[in-house]
Amino acid sequence: MEKRDKIIEIRWHGRGGQGAVTSAELLALAAIEEGKFAQAFPSFGPERRGAPVLVFNRVSDKTPIRARVSVINPDIVVILDPGLIYITDVTAGLKEGGVIVINTTKAVVDIKSEFNGSWKLAVVNATSIARDTIGVPIVNTTMLGALVKATDIIELESLAEPLKERFGARAKGNSDACHRAYKETEIAELSGVVKKPTKTFETETFPSWQELLPGSVIPEAGNAKQYRTGDWKSESPIWDHQKCIKCGICYLFCPEGCIGQNKDGYFEANPYYCKGCGICARECWTEAIKMVEEE
Amino acid sequence: MTTKRIGMEGSFAIAEAIKLARVEAIAAYPITPQTHIVERLAEFVANGELDAEYIPVESEHSAMSACLGTSAVGARTFTATASQGLELMHEVLYVASGLRLPIVMTVANRALSAPLSIWTDHSDAMAIRDCGWIQIFAENAQQAFDLVLCAFRIAEDLTVLLPTIVHIDGFYISHTIESVELLEQKVVDKFLPEYRHPYPLNPDKPVTMGAFGPPPIYTETKKAHEVALRDSKKVILKVWQEFGKLSGSHYAPVESYKTEDADVLLLCMGSFSETAMMSIDKMQAEGQKVGLIRLRLWRPFPTEELRQAVSKAQLLIVFDRALSLGGAPPVCSEIQAALYPLKTKPKIVSFVGSLGGREISIQGFEELINNGMNRAKRGKLDEFEIIGVRE
Ligand code: SF4
Ligand code: SF4
Repeated sequence: MEKRDKIIEIRWHGRGGQGAVTSAELLALAAIEEGKFAQAFPSFGPERRGAPVLVFNRVSDKTPIRARVSVINPDIVVILDPGLIYITDVTAGLKEGGVIVINTTKAVVDIKSEFNGSWKLAVVNATSIARDTIGVPIVNTTMLGALVKATDIIELESLAEPLKERFGARAKGNSDACHRAYKETEIAELSGVVKKPTKTFETETFPSWQELLPGSVIPEAGNAKQYRTGDWKSESPIWDHQKCIKCGICYLFCPEGCIGQNKDGYFEANPYYCKGCGICARECWTEAIKMVEEE
Repeated sequence: MTTKRIGMEGSFAIAEAIKLARVEAIAAYPITPQTHIVERLAEFVANGELDAEYIPVESEHSAMSACLGTSAVGARTFTATASQGLELMHEVLYVASGLRLPIVMTVANRALSAPLSIWTDHSDAMAIRDCGWIQIFAENAQQAFDLVLCAFRIAEDLTVLLPTIVHIDGFYISHTIESVELLEQKVVDKFLPEYRHPYPLNPDKPVTMGAFGPPPIYTETKKAHEVALRDSKKVILKVWQEFGKLSGSHYAPVESYKTEDADVLLLCMGSFSETAMMSIDKMQAEGQKVGLIRLRLWRPFPTEELRQAVSKAQLLIVFDRALSLGGAPPVCSEIQAALYPLKTKPKIVSFVGSLGGREISIQGFEELINNGMNRAKRGKLDEFEIIGVRE
């Protein structure tokens, strides 16, 4: 392959716990292994399972990488969780001719109308591949396979060593996931013709320094309520009333405090805040709670 | 307005001020040379003279942490410490100022270990230079009494809401008996009315204090803190003016002593300034054009007042009582930074001395000034000198 001067920039969109950070790290390690220059870093924050996270890569053949700043105008975006396209502007700043790699159960024809730009779209049902190969719906290594298929950023084989290093005994499953995704990823060119009105996303606003109260006191107590953590979940708890003995253990363990008792005395989660962590299902000793995948 | 002059140890004068201020909460851990202050306060609380919550704690870190709590619920809060104790509080100091809690503290300035030293210098004060508190230096017991009272008025002003330190030299103020004029309770009550925090922690009206400050907000919080600290000078000036009217004691951010015709100025902080005054008296009597300025206010740094105070001087001799090991002496480097942009400014000579309790006599200050003038004449301005050190 011809050596490029250009620095390729990648932005990963995932959720806490999906392993986006690991994907980006493995990619960087593989690229460096190939003699390239590469960088991987997360947008550091209070990590919480289910919360949207961003991770960045820069890869170049010849140019050492100096920029220590988030990727604003990516060449490639990788989306680990299909739900994210409805709550964040995943293609923000994506360069013309850029690549979108997305994990979805949908086929190219059914999802391409979501993206308005002259980009390349690569789709893969990574969740199902990960379940088959690794046994859990953690799609990070699967998405690496899709990314490599959609771009020539690295050679697929270069991931073998980093995968072995990172996963040890579990490397095989992850490597299988990666290879299967490489095979199954479907690619289409998007025309860039606008088919749907451009989506608008809620952008967070922050006060100016003059607007802060002394000591940055927040007078609206309990305003975390406004934070809809229910958006984060990929799985929901379902209660089986046959098995439930109304002990309240699930209520006690829910880290979100979103489980309440209904008028019949059964417990249920408020979907507005339940982030699908699965702790209730794990703690319920009668196994009355099952986690089911969200659509 | 003042009562009659009485003989009293500096620490006890401060304790009297705290009692008169009707402080509601005290959390402290004893450390030399501060201990007499909080011992006396413990007595006041124990015998019912002061109606305050006295929280004995196991360390200075806990002392300041407890102060955060009492101040956050809106109680008028006081503590005192020194040296290693202040360093042990260090991280909590930033929390107190960041949360804008108007705690008042006296620091009985003392050197930092190692080697272990219980004696005075300004190493401890300089180590917390950037902690975001208002910092004021007193030179004697009377000033300590006055400035501690003023500190509450300043700190609790609703446009300020910043913790405030009154620095007093260990032993030379804390353990020295001298004459002090106290104020009557009714005078203090009028000067220092009951304080109400605008957003206290209160279960009936909950607020969030000390939340996370992620990158999109942290810089704004620090800008707000910085502006509040700078702007506090207006309130400091107003409070000192008002205090001057009622007590006859007048304070200013930079105070000058016999500087009218002086070409050469010595700059000091803390109690040794009074010894230096004696040297100035003597040298002026001998016809030398020397004078003295002292930084009373250390934070917010009184840039304007300093520039004004040195505007006619040809030489400024800065006397630091702490080192910034491996760097320029702390007070002098700030003086230089403040004067650097000016077109006409005095030459600056930098000395460090009186470390770890080593004294400097009246004659010593005279020698220091002469030494400074010599250095200036020889153009030796690029390096500071540690004075009084055995070769
Ligand atoms: S822990 Fe299980 S059994 Fe107990 S209340 Fe919750 S669902 Fe019912
Ligand atoms: S999955 Fe269960 S424990 Fe987790 S947030 Fe939802 S209800 Fe709470």
